[in-house]
Amino acid sequence: MILTRTRFGLSILAALLTAGLLVAAGLLMARYEDQLYGAQQLKDITEQARILAASVAAAVTFDDRNAAQEYVEALAVNPELLAAGVYDSKGRRIAQFVRSGASLPEREFPGFSNGHLDVSVPVAQGGQVLGRVTVRASAEPAQRRLARYAGLVLLATMGALVIAVLSFSQVALTRRAEELARVNARLQLEMAERRKTEEALRQSHKMEAVGQLSGGIAHDFNNLIMIVKGNLRLLRKRFDTAGSGAETYIASAEEALNRAAHLTQRILAFSRRQPLSPKPVLLSELVAGMDELIRHSLGEKIEIETWLDAHWWTRCDVNQMENVILNLAINARDAMPKGGGLIIHTADRHVDKTPPGVIDFVPGDYVALSIRDTGQGMSQEVRERAVDPFFTTKPLGKGTGLGLSMTFGYVRQSSGYLVIESELGQGTTVTILMPRTEAPNV
Amino acid sequence: MRKPGAALLAGVFLFILLREPAGARTSVEYAVKAAYLVKFVPFITWPDGVFSSSSAPLTICVEGADPFGGSLERAAQGQRDGDHPLAVRRIGASDPATSCQILFAGGAPDNVAAQIERRKAQPVLTVTDSGVARGGIVSFVVIGDHVRFDIDEARANAVGIQINSKLLGLAHIVKKNGRP
Repeated sequence: MILTRTRFGLSILAALLTAGLLVAAGLLMARYEDQLYGAQQLKDITEQARILAASVAAAVTFDDRNAAQEYVEALAVNPELLAAGVYDSKGRRIAQFVRSGASLPEREFPGFSNGHLDVSVPVAQGGQVLGRVTVRASAEPAQRRLARYAGLVLLATMGALVIAVLSFSQVALTRRAEELARVNARLQLEMAERRKTEEALRQSHKMEAVGQLSGGIAHDFNNLIMIVKGNLRLLRKRFDTAGSGAETYIASAEEALNRAAHLTQRILAFSRRQPLSPKPVLLSELVAGMDELIRHSLGEKIEIETWLDAHWWTRCDVNQMENVILNLAINARDAMPKGGGLIIHTADRHVDKTPPGVIDFVPGDYVALSIRDTGQGMSQEVRERAVDPFFTTKPLGKGTGLGLSMTFGYVRQSSGYLVIESELGQGTTVTILMPRTEAPNV
Repeated sequence: MRKPGAALLAGVFLFILLREPAGARTSVEYAVKAAYLVKFVPFITWPDGVFSSSSAPLTICVEGADPFGGSLERAAQGQRDGDHPLAVRRIGASDPATSCQILFAGGAPDNVAAQIERRKAQPVLTVTDSGVARGGIVSFVVIGDHVRFDIDEARANAVGIQINSKLLGLAHIVKKNGRP
């Protein structure tokens, strides 16, 4: 903007300078031409006076007034000449020609005055001065000559004005182009933002649909498991299976059923259909209570730090929250196969701006719980699909792809938000934002 | 009879009284003519060799009767033509007039004709008075109250004298040279 203004100022300055130069040049030209014109007229009139002087030499000498008069009147054909007089050697006028309204010059030296140009030339023959001839011609007054050149000056001024206007509009155009570029950039940014939001919304809808579908299936599936389980129990009761090999088969079938039940629980958690019993909790205390468990789960290769700065209350299902934290910690460990650092950080935060990857965000006070690792991080592609159910980067058989999905479902069911920030090679930070609640009455 | 002398005296007086204006007019006329003789000089170009030296006087000669009575000397007084001072000389019929550049032929018409005839071949600007037969290169005429002159350019050119066109333009009658 400063640059633009400077350029604008420079353009105007240049235009004014040009205008000044043009006017000065015009005035100089006018002055020069005026001088030239004056000199030329003086030369012309002097020449005419000389011709008259030569012509009347004999007439003056022999006092032939008629002849002298004829010569003088011959000058009348030149409309520029106002008056002419012929004088003999004693200064007596012997012939004259005076146009109406004009008078004979009285001065004997040439020059411009009062719109007249007076010229005086001696009449000479054979080296003898015989008399004198004076001629008066009309000369344009200085004002009229100036008026003649005023047109030129006007033209120069107009030219300068045109330049000024052009440079002004040039500056305006440049400014407008800059503004357009700025607006365009903002539009591009907004479009990108919108595309991102749409993508997140689509993702959310997808999750919703998958959740509903899998939730429905899991629910019915769970009922079926219960029926099979109950029947297995009746089988063991009615028939004595202890001695026979049947017990082994029933036991492994029950175990498989337990695993299936566990799986359906997780699917229900993701689909936000698990039964939760939320109560007021201080996340800092909760994390502090889990310290031993986490250390034990992660092993000695991972250095764990806990920063517990949160003091606000929130409401959630404590058991599920512990599961989620443990789950995230194990994920972090798996991202650091050669060891590293893990920071569990709780903090009170007022959040106004929608965090990345989050939709339907409500600004307000939140208790934030972050789990940060120094692991390999995620590519953008992986990060975007991280919460998709059954999506996993772990080897076949090592993960179900339901860990983060379940976490996401649980957090959303508890009115919180899950924020995943990660760069490839820069580690990952998973943050759970839980809404602040009033402290419970003790 | 006592009064014839007185009558004669009165007659003489009357004559003188009547003559006076005429005489005055004559003297003015010749003063003008004398001045003209001097004023012709700048308009005339004589052939080479008419002057014995570069500072020799330009001589105006009067032959025969002199009507100027000193006015010619007064007119020429202090005048010069370039390096040549003007001089006035009276000459007789026997004078060869070789040093004259202008010759005023005075006297009776017969005499004048002879005077002109004698100088016909000389580079001399011959001037004859009004009232006589015109025979000189320049002849005075009186028209109205003004003294004017005729010029015979052919005769002037015949003896190598050039007359400025400005003077020719002022002449009453010009006898042109043979040129068309």
